[in-house]
Amino acid sequence: MSETAMELIDVKKRIGKKEIIKGLSFTINKGEVFGLIGPNGAGKTTTIRMMVGLMQLSEGDVTILGKSIKSDYIEAVREVGAIVENPEMYPFMTGIQNLNHYARMIPEVSKQRIQEVISLVGLEKAAKEKVGRYSLGMRQRLGIAQALLHNPSVLILDEPTNGLDPAGIREIRMYIRRLAVEKNVAVIISSHLLSEIELICDRIGVIKNGELVAIQQVNEKTDIEKLKQVQMEVTPMNEAMELLQTHHGITAMETDGKLHFQSEKEKIPAMIRTLVEYNISIYQLEIAKSSLEDKFFNLIGENTIE
Amino acid sequence: MSNFFSLIYNEIAKIYIQKSTWIMYLLLGVIILGLGILANTYGDLNDGYEADTWRETLQEENEELTNEMEEEPFLQDFNLSSIEMNNYYLENDIQPAGYGAWQFVMENEMLLSIVSLLTIIVAAGIVANEFRWGTIKLLLIRPISREKILASKYGAVLLFSLFTLLFVLLLSWVVGALLFGVEGINPHIVMEKNTGFEYVSVINEIITGYGFQLVTLLMMATFAFMISTVFRNSALAIGTAIFFMMVGNQIVFFFMERSWAKYILFANTDLSLYFNGNTPWIEGMTLGFSITVLLIYYVLFLMLSWIFFTKRDVAGH
Ligand SMILES: Nc1ncnc2c1ncn2[C@@H]1O[C@H](COP(=O)(O)OP(=O)(O)OP(=O)(O)O)[C@@H](O)[C@H]1O
Ligand SMILES: [Mg+2]
Repeated sequence: MSETAMELIDVKKRIGKKEIIKGLSFTINKGEVFGLIGPNGAGKTTTIRMMVGLMQLSEGDVTILGKSIKSDYIEAVREVGAIVENPEMYPFMTGIQNLNHYARMIPEVSKQRIQEVISLVGLEKAAKEKVGRYSLGMRQRLGIAQALLHNPSVLILDEPTNGLDPAGIREIRMYIRRLAVEKNVAVIISSHLLSEIELICDRIGVIKNGELVAIQQVNEKTDIEKLKQVQMEVTPMNEAMELLQTHHGITAMETDGKLHFQSEKEKIPAMIRTLVEYNISIYQLEIAKSSLEDKFFNLIGENTIE
Repeated sequence: MSNFFSLIYNEIAKIYIQKSTWIMYLLLGVIILGLGILANTYGDLNDGYEADTWRETLQEENEELTNEMEEEPFLQDFNLSSIEMNNYYLENDIQPAGYGAWQFVMENEMLLSIVSLLTIIVAAGIVANEFRWGTIKLLLIRPISREKILASKYGAVLLFSLFTLLFVLLLSWVVGALLFGVEGINPHIVMEKNTGFEYVSVINEIITGYGFQLVTLLMMATFAFMISTVFRNSALAIGTAIFFMMVGNQIVFFFMERSWAKYILFANTDLSLYFNGNTPWIEGMTLGFSITVLLIYYVLFLMLSWIFFTKRDVAGH
């Protein structure tokens, strides 16, 4: 299970005098979904471009199943399927013509496999239409189909949910999890939205200004990270604050006419019961953010683009 | 190797799946048909000569031409050479062949410059368009070296120009055959050459006529391909290649006096000079010299394409 699929070893990228990637090192295991998050301009796409050999590394190395992208490019990239930034396809060809085109570049992709990936991403109806007429979401799906054609061991997706509708996001999310669990594929997903990839990733790496600032195991949240930020609109406010303090040991703060406090999700129904019992009127209750998100926001800080 | 064949197949498919390619072919077809109709309507073409009366017919023609010349002095040059040609037939006792498909093909030699133009357009787009469309990323992340992908693209350009050339030859011949008939399998005619009149095979003339122009085609297509790869911009590649193709000779004229003028590409592209007895552009130039210069340019263009395509990062736009 913990076999290494991809390893980045002190990867650096300089363009001109500017160092865009400042020494990234991490490994991704087989069967693992790894999220790469960071604000705009953090260097996610640049890192992905280096992983697939579109850009040369200024320093360091990337290995895929032990093969170096620098010295053994063809063998290394054989194991990779990817979308890099927008999934651009030939607009004057149909979806299926596009897939055939890529299939011809890889040995042993059968016609049957092409049909398989088409139905997988739900493009059966649109496959015979020109890609120029596709919506962004349809192109994204075709991009994913293209990346999966040759059953890669490492799947790299740069913002794959960009442009997908909620149902599409869910489908892709489920499919990615299945790939990881059943086929033991290592998946790398980049995004600037934590909430989007938190649900599928086993591990998340946070990248900012070309540096890895943290790696977080998603299913091993600490107790503090399980706490949620709760906002509540109630009257009378003072009485409610007292009740929460005495019955549940919670210190709430008042800002903007609302009560704010931290709590585990499971304890919230009991609090509401108490408040109702004492005739407090509840207008609104909102769980704003998970603390994990808070933590990442603190790590990333304001979105500074260098 | 079957792998490389698939790559070429892909590139050719991408060229011919685009509507613009078919529009180019359609235009080419219209031009050929137009030339045929023009020649049929306004050309003074003989329908052939009877085996027993062709001598008399030629003599009658000569008389007509002489009369015409006296009335319209400006026709003198043209008619005189026609008369001389007729005399050559008579003196050597050769029955002239009628005008037909082969001669039509031969006279349409200049269509090759349109083939060059189309090849330049394709060569200019074949790399640059992948960058413009953004498809270069998905093209390059395959288990295939960049060298091979570049080679398949260059190969596709050459194949495209071959197909287009065959299309022009075939369509010209068919249009010629329909309008003028076929004058035989390998007709011979008398042509005026530098060394005087000569009895030549039309098919030979077609091969050498088109063949010598292929040098320019190959060089300019390779040039456009190079610009396309280095600058990743097809408009620039089309523009510069067509510009140089059109003003190439003027450039040589302009620098004629300089010692390095003979190293200019365009001073060397017309190899026919060395075969038909014309004097070369600059004294001291020989066939071997020109071929060497051409080869150096050719290798230079391909090397530049290769270096820029394989070594440069594929970053954002
Ligand atoms: N070709 C280039 N030349 C110079 N700088 C570049 C080049 N490509 C990217 N950069 C810089 O590298 C940094 C990282 O860019 P990158 O595209 O990797 O960000 P990203 O994390 O993918 O952002 P986003 O979330 O917006 O997609 C940016 O500051 C960008 O300006
Ligand atoms: Mg990006």
